[in-house]
Amino acid sequence: MNKRGRLVSALFLHAGLLCVCAGLILPFLWMLSTSLKTLPQTTETPPRFLPHPWQPQNYGAIFTHPNFHALLYTRNTLLIAALTVIGTVISSSIVAYGFARIAFRGKGILFAIMLGTIMIPFPITMVSLFRIFRWMDVHTAAWLGAGNFLQMLGTFKPLWLPAWFGSAFNIFLLRQFFITIPRELSEAARIDGCSELGIFLRIILPLARPALAVVALFSFLGVWNDFLGPLVFIQRPNQYTLALGLEAFQNRVGGSEWNLLMAASVLVCVPTLLLFFLAQRTFIRGIATTGGK
Amino acid sequence: MAWIKRIIFSAMALVALIAFLLGSRPTEEVAPPGFTVVEYWEKWVGNEAAQMKVIVDDFNHTVGQQKKIYVRYMSMSDIDQKTLIAVSAGVPPDIAGLWDQQLGGFAALGALEPLDNLATQHGITAKSYLPVFWNACHYNGHLYGLVSTPGTIALIYNKLIFEQSAAKLRAAGLDPNRAPTTLAEFDRYAAALDLRDSSGQIDRVGYLPLQSWYHPLISYWFGGDIFDPKTHHFTLTSPATVHAYQWMQSYSTRLGQRTLIDFQNSLGAFDAPNNPFLVGKLVMEQQGPWMASYIQNLKPSMSEILVPKSEEYKLPDRRANYAWAVAPFPSAVPGEDDISYNSFDVLVIPANAPHPREAFEFLAYVNRQDVAEKLCTLQSKNCQLAHVSAAFLKNHPNPYIDVYQKLAASPHARAVPSVPIWPEVFKELTDTAQNITLSGADVTTALAAAQQRMQERYDRFHRIELARQRAGLN
Amino acid sequence: MNHERRNFFKGIAFVSPWLIGFIVFTAVPIVLSLYYSFCDYALTNPHRGPYWIGLDNYRQLLHDALFWKSLVNTLYYAAMALPAGLLVSLGFALMLNADIRGQAFYRTIIFLPSLIPAIASAMVWLWMFNGRLGLFNYLLGKVHLPPVNWLGERWAMPSLALMSLWGVGNTVVIYLAGLQDVPTALYEAAHIDGAGPFRRLFAVTIPILTPVIFFNLVMAIIATFSILTVPYIMTQGGPNNATYFYTMFNYDQAFRFLHMGYASALAWIQLLITLFFTAIAFWSARKWVHYE
Repeated sequence: MNKRGRLVSALFLHAGLLCVCAGLILPFLWMLSTSLKTLPQTTETPPRFLPHPWQPQNYGAIFTHPNFHALLYTRNTLLIAALTVIGTVISSSIVAYGFARIAFRGKGILFAIMLGTIMIPFPITMVSLFRIFRWMDVHTAAWLGAGNFLQMLGTFKPLWLPAWFGSAFNIFLLRQFFITIPRELSEAARIDGCSELGIFLRIILPLARPALAVVALFSFLGVWNDFLGPLVFIQRPNQYTLALGLEAFQNRVGGSEWNLLMAASVLVCVPTLLLFFLAQRTFIRGIATTGGK
Repeated sequence: MAWIKRIIFSAMALVALIAFLLGSRPTEEVAPPGFTVVEYWEKWVGNEAAQMKVIVDDFNHTVGQQKKIYVRYMSMSDIDQKTLIAVSAGVPPDIAGLWDQQLGGFAALGALEPLDNLATQHGITAKSYLPVFWNACHYNGHLYGLVSTPGTIALIYNKLIFEQSAAKLRAAGLDPNRAPTTLAEFDRYAAALDLRDSSGQIDRVGYLPLQSWYHPLISYWFGGDIFDPKTHHFTLTSPATVHAYQWMQSYSTRLGQRTLIDFQNSLGAFDAPNNPFLVGKLVMEQQGPWMASYIQNLKPSMSEILVPKSEEYKLPDRRANYAWAVAPFPSAVPGEDDISYNSFDVLVIPANAPHPREAFEFLAYVNRQDVAEKLCTLQSKNCQLAHVSAAFLKNHPNPYIDVYQKLAASPHARAVPSVPIWPEVFKELTDTAQNITLSGADVTTALAAAQQRMQERYDRFHRIELARQRAGLN
Repeated sequence: MNHERRNFFKGIAFVSPWLIGFIVFTAVPIVLSLYYSFCDYALTNPHRGPYWIGLDNYRQLLHDALFWKSLVNTLYYAAMALPAGLLVSLGFALMLNADIRGQAFYRTIIFLPSLIPAIASAMVWLWMFNGRLGLFNYLLGKVHLPPVNWLGERWAMPSLALMSLWGVGNTVVIYLAGLQDVPTALYEAAHIDGAGPFRRLFAVTIPILTPVIFFNLVMAIIATFSILTVPYIMTQGGPNNATYFYTMFNYDQAFRFLHMGYASALAWIQLLITLFFTAIAFWSARKWVHYE
């Protein structure tokens, strides 16, 4: 293609992307604009896009609002997120390796079952899950006394512990990328006397580092925005996560303090947004990881 | 670029660290040693939650101190789901604050502790209560809950718009200085109060049958009923109910389905500043006494049209200070006046709760006359008790509280029907109303279909319940 | 120990974390729910246990108008949102994949909506769809078109499908990753052969992308059938049940109507339907998915 043709097509692309982005960002901009409005402005007709006057104090108000403990919720969310991310990355990569690189009897059926579990709606397992945790508590309490370190209900464990047993979606994702790593690499290592674990740790994991970053990011986002899990397993307001706190906040002030609600929402998505913006190259390369290239 | 990234990353990590270290938890109240902790989960999360907290604190400082009971109060959204899951896992709270419309279903399925004995021991009897609330707290002859605050539904109308439209109302032969007293009159008021803009679009309506949580009970005002517990049959095809739904349909036919949808979707929620009643787009509606405090919070100007709020008691009649007024919602049945639906918030003790006796101490406390009056004043509700003080009526945030009180005491006061599958019936009736008003479905056909579906559902419920009893599994 | 057995133990060892988690956190609950689906059961009292009623729940379901309505609604939504989402996100990904300046910026913006909490996005879209104050009708008015009742009975479902396109960021990212895989050598070869951009797209890019398309298809099927939060906040299933999704019906049965047994039956049907569509996807995949 000649230089000029390239320029023209780049121009078209930019125009197209700008249109798309304008459409996509509009609702967010409105969120932003509402978060900077005074209360009466939020229900003005016709709506005004640019707040006048500005009220950036809304963001300060969020941190001192009696009904929204931003720092506390962030702390809780980060705690759960950290434990979930570590657990997911470790366990999902191990399991994915098994599914991707070892030919063993029953693999097909196990893999199909695992895929099937992605389809199981959480609402249907959550009630039984709750009862299982309760059952575990009753039994650990009999051995170790009430409130022991294995206590599940009333702690964050029901939210992060399952992540340490792999998450089907992430296993599927990692498996898809592990299978693209050329077999010759692991065969060569095997001939050199490397054990299966050695191949996994020394060959596959380093190559899959970007893919692992993706899993980490996905599971982080999952925790950050998870609503149903905390809703079921968390009762005490001082254990609220951001998503739950936001919902409670919406219930409390919804319809009235719109501007504060939107400010809180913006605050909740800013960290993940920054994270994505910074990590997106690694992120996309990670999903695309193929060992050979 | 790389160093910018590193800086942003470090900044984020720093913020995370700060959040981690400084994200101090709001200190959880610790019960004094030796006290029994009563766990209380409340469905309200907004102002009402804070108002109830006042009462809980009062209790903990007084009766709780004497009897060594500490009520730990938690307000939470989606309480029904959380309570159910906790109950089924065997870790229920001691007290749950529910809606009146949930009571029957929960009681029917064994979710609640019967309170008859505890109530008798505390001297809480039918005599203490207004009959409508006392009866509605019962299911199958047993007491399953006590009221925390009731809310009787009446007509609330915009007095100022009545005055502004005086000429139009008079031309229609209506008195702008009072509320309609019969349903026929109500319809004429509503029509006269409609306003169209220059393009012919509806700008203001006198009344609209907007969907709401009390609408499935609309047939009460037509002398109708929902369910007959004696025959185990629904009565959705009775002439009164058909009349009620025809009446609703007459509004959507006259105003256009579009208007209805626009009002339903386009204007704000009930507790939002652009609630159609508050912005003067809706002149008359059915509401409970709490409306006074919502109006006060969202549009204070409507509660001080003559003098500032603080000086309203200097007026000969403080009602003159309000842009709105309250009257019984007119009935369609001649001679049957003062019909109302009496909703209420109810405190229950879940089955297998660890401390039912201690929990009941709190229920009884909330139903002590002085406490009940305080709570009902805080939440701007009427009172469930048979006797209220003159001070309650005088100091209440709603200057028309006596109207609600009178409605709740009337022989025509009604409450939610005692149907175990009420939540389903509620949805069915809401759907039917939407079908009739928004899609113009035929009233008789739609109600007959609803009747058949609900009867089937109930019969199935009943059949399985009997089989359970025979199997000794209840 | 022969090779096969050694591999079996090795394989099982690697997948054991998942296997244990599966048994405790999934298999037991799912078997319990299968059992409940044959029972009359409410979560109201641990002593009022499940009572076996055989196929009664499933029989009831067959002539439950709301069941069919919610199922049809969900399929209707899926028929719109699923292909539209896959196509639109592919389009975005192709545009983003080009070697142009400001990629990071564009990518972030396209991904942004999937980062916004469901509650916040539902609020924003409620405003955009609003009949009187909303942005869409405002724009329609500008070009002299009659206003649309976006959340009315007729349009509510298409509106929700439209809204779902806003959150395709996740899918786009996965496509983008797949596109990085397309070897440049193939492009060059196609170029030398004189293939135009469209031919290159259909002859080179799409075939190589098929595994990723397949992955996204499966994920989209699952996500579409379990959509709940956003419509619950926005329309509560209305008006006139036009947006009453299957999952909402399920939720209502379990927690509002107190029929846990019935809800379990519904969940199993949902599972079977999802499995059915996924199986179709897997079956058809043999014909159109190319693995390297």
